[in-house]
Amino acid sequence: MAEHMPRIVCFCCEKHGIDAAVLAARSGKQYDASVRIVTVPCSGRVDGIHLLQALDDGADAVFVVGCLEKNCYYDTGSIEGRKRVNYVKSMLSEAGIEKERVEMFNTASTNAWAFPEAVSKMVEVVRRLGPIGKGGEQQ
Amino acid sequence: MKAAIQVVLCKCCTEMPALLDMAMLEKIASETPMVMSVKTVDAICDGKNLSEIIREVKEREIDRAVVLACQKKDISPALFKAYTRAGINEFMIELVDIRDQVVLPHQDDRAQAQAKAEAKLEAALARVVMLAPLVRSVEEMKTRNVVIVGAGFAGMAAAQAAAKTGAHTILLESSGKTVKAPGVILTHSKVLGAKGYGGNFQLSIKAGEKVEELGAAAVVIASGGGWTKLKGPLAKACKEAVPLYELYLSIKSGNQIKGPVIVVDTPDPAGKTLRVQDYAWDESLETVIDLKRRSPETLIYVVFQEMRAFGLSELAYKDAAELGVKFIRYDKAGAPRIDPNLPGVLTVKDFSQGEKLSIKFGTLAFASIPANPDNMTIADALRIPMTAEGGIRRGSVQRGPVSTPRPGVYVCGSAMFPKPREVAQAEGQAAGAMAGEYVMKGSIEFGGSVAQVTAEKCSACLTCVRTCPYEAPFIGTASKAEIKTQLCQGCGMCVGICPSKAIELHHYTDDQIAEETRVLLGGDL
Amino acid sequence: MIVAKRKPVNEIAEMLAPFKKVTVIGCRSCVAICLAGGEKEVKMLVSTLKVKNKKEGRRQEFQGFVVERQCEREWIKEVEEKVLDSEVTLSMACSLGAQTIGDMYPEHLTFPGLNTGIFGVPEEQGVWSEKCVGCGNCIIHTTGGICPISRCAKSMLNGPCGGSADRKCEVNLEVECAWAAIYDRLKIQNRLDLIEKVMPAKDWSTGHSGGRRVYTREDAKLTPHQKKGREVVQ
Repeated sequence: MAEHMPRIVCFCCEKHGIDAAVLAARSGKQYDASVRIVTVPCSGRVDGIHLLQALDDGADAVFVVGCLEKNCYYDTGSIEGRKRVNYVKSMLSEAGIEKERVEMFNTASTNAWAFPEAVSKMVEVVRRLGPIGKGGEQQ
Repeated sequence: MKAAIQVVLCKCCTEMPALLDMAMLEKIASETPMVMSVKTVDAICDGKNLSEIIREVKEREIDRAVVLACQKKDISPALFKAYTRAGINEFMIELVDIRDQVVLPHQDDRAQAQAKAEAKLEAALARVVMLAPLVRSVEEMKTRNVVIVGAGFAGMAAAQAAAKTGAHTILLESSGKTVKAPGVILTHSKVLGAKGYGGNFQLSIKAGEKVEELGAAAVVIASGGGWTKLKGPLAKACKEAVPLYELYLSIKSGNQIKGPVIVVDTPDPAGKTLRVQDYAWDESLETVIDLKRRSPETLIYVVFQEMRAFGLSELAYKDAAELGVKFIRYDKAGAPRIDPNLPGVLTVKDFSQGEKLSIKFGTLAFASIPANPDNMTIADALRIPMTAEGGIRRGSVQRGPVSTPRPGVYVCGSAMFPKPREVAQAEGQAAGAMAGEYVMKGSIEFGGSVAQVTAEKCSACLTCVRTCPYEAPFIGTASKAEIKTQLCQGCGMCVGICPSKAIELHHYTDDQIAEETRVLLGGDL
Repeated sequence: MIVAKRKPVNEIAEMLAPFKKVTVIGCRSCVAICLAGGEKEVKMLVSTLKVKNKKEGRRQEFQGFVVERQCEREWIKEVEEKVLDSEVTLSMACSLGAQTIGDMYPEHLTFPGLNTGIFGVPEEQGVWSEKCVGCGNCIIHTTGGICPISRCAKSMLNGPCGGSADRKCEVNLEVECAWAAIYDRLKIQNRLDLIEKVMPAKDWSTGHSGGRRVYTREDAKLTPHQKKGREVVQ
């Protein structure tokens, strides 16, 4: 079976999240190209609807990157982001879908390793679990 | 949907073409409907091709642009300024950071990088079509008043700093003490309530016996801590214990201090939460050194859990020890106690030696500045968060060490948590300067990418009101939620949480995010 | 207000499994406020079911939307076409909404997506506690404003019971003894004399024990002359 190309979306906050991703890139860190970033002003903007819709639209996994919870630019935004992710995880679990496919990561803008680490964790999840439609092609 | 899109591809000198097929990107751009202009430049920052870019904007009546380059903070502002002059609204420019998201991190995977770059271009084009021009509004500040609550160390420093910027300072001091500071000084005064927002507050204050209205452009909270009493069993046994600052003042006024003197680091040594604050060490050391120098024969004991003097104040620890001050360390198991039947004797277990010590004392002082009970009124009035200990909570540290989540409201000194005098003064200076700068702008800017409620969809569930850290949502006269635009920070937390999807965040609507995501994923289905 | 909770997704999926075309209808009232069946929950459920179908290779078509108040026929009538354009309707409103649709279109299948629930008070954001069971004869004026029928596990009228200890209910140790709370409340109201008054056995006929209840306002009812169209004949 040809190896499945992971399709992963990252909802990245415009403050510490994207700065961490940029710092990683500018420090020369390389990471898997299967991750595509959608920037949002704050990880608290992310709605469970976006996460689930991403999975429905073809993503094998989705992750959210926000500021560290005690250092969120918008005070409580990444706390909210984590709550959204956790709720989606519980819905997926109930539906018999692996909850590892949705994840939340927190980072400081100064951490050049955080983003590539998040990417490799999610790529590993997809490699292990495969695409959602096990039959291969979407219906 | 009518749009005229211009696509600008920046080569970032040679970085982009080294990895990506620029011709392919140009092709995709030009073949996308409503793209009227495609320009590839060597380096936007260079500004060389700017006039050509703008010429096409005018000729082809471009109303929006997709720019593939790097991060906004790194691109020369020249392009955006030129776009603005040419009439393109700042919110109609979609900047895609191809450099940091595709070129730099995927150097070894040309095919994947190309696919990703193409997907990002297509997603940006899909998104830019959905964007709408947004206008930021300006509101004049009705006053240049910086109202400073509290005329202690922090408050006075704040008044000085704010006055330097040209702002008009008004100090509200709750006690009747004499205050010398620039601006208007109102003693026996407190804040009771507040309406409005940063730039245009209407405060309700108590000045003496009267309740008055006071306009303010900014508020600095320097309400400090209050005196306190000993807590717990120690309090019952020793009624004459004094707060450290009182002892300090007493020494300064030249009073005879009855020795031996014991200084304890907290008012509640046996308490469940042994929170000893930084203030305790610096001030304790300073006080005991002063006393020992004035009357070397007085026995002085410092009873503490940890000695953590700030920076160079560590030297004070050395000085005090050399002067003959005795330091006794304890932990919770051997916390200082006084037997009510034997007042005047403090027993404590020396942590280092393990010995139980009994110390006769003439004066017992304890380091403490707990939260000012007025802080609750102030926090309620200005709708800002409090700490668990009753102080005023700072906003996100990234907004500055003296800011609250409310624009125009600053907090400094022990109102946050107990601080040594110098630190309180430094913070006061910072808060005063920031408040003054804010006020002297003369107006506030707001709007743009902010949240907006569609009343018909609102269930008035109060979720947004409770979630927003900035107090922007409120239930309006129609019994539906509304967003106070002047307070909205554009984070979108309320949008993500609204159970009826009644709130949208301009520039990051659900549809815009969903479409961008869909196209990024390859858009099948 | 009425507080409901979404059924576990696998239960819903099982209910809907035999059907190819599903309409999911939420409500903007109580269930939106208690975060169970508003537009967001409808959208999230539909997406989750679609993803589950993708995993299990099932074909199903969904449409999802909300109405203002699902227990009112007028609002259902507005979306009649969408309701009937499906093999089954999953109601994400409280059971009242689900039954209203069911009553209006008896040949059409309408399933409940939520478990209703309680009359609940938001103690804090995200926490709703039951404070009324609709006994139909409110006596909280005699108990300092606290309802012993709902908050006492034994619904005692002359509590506390002998098992109450340390202010906790013996049936559920996590719950405060309602009568301890009632005692404190009456104390601060200076009405402790009410504690000593013996309340007679409750007349449960006003409650659900007497069967289905109907509340009427005769002056609000429309006379035949006032009714319009088909309502006159039906």
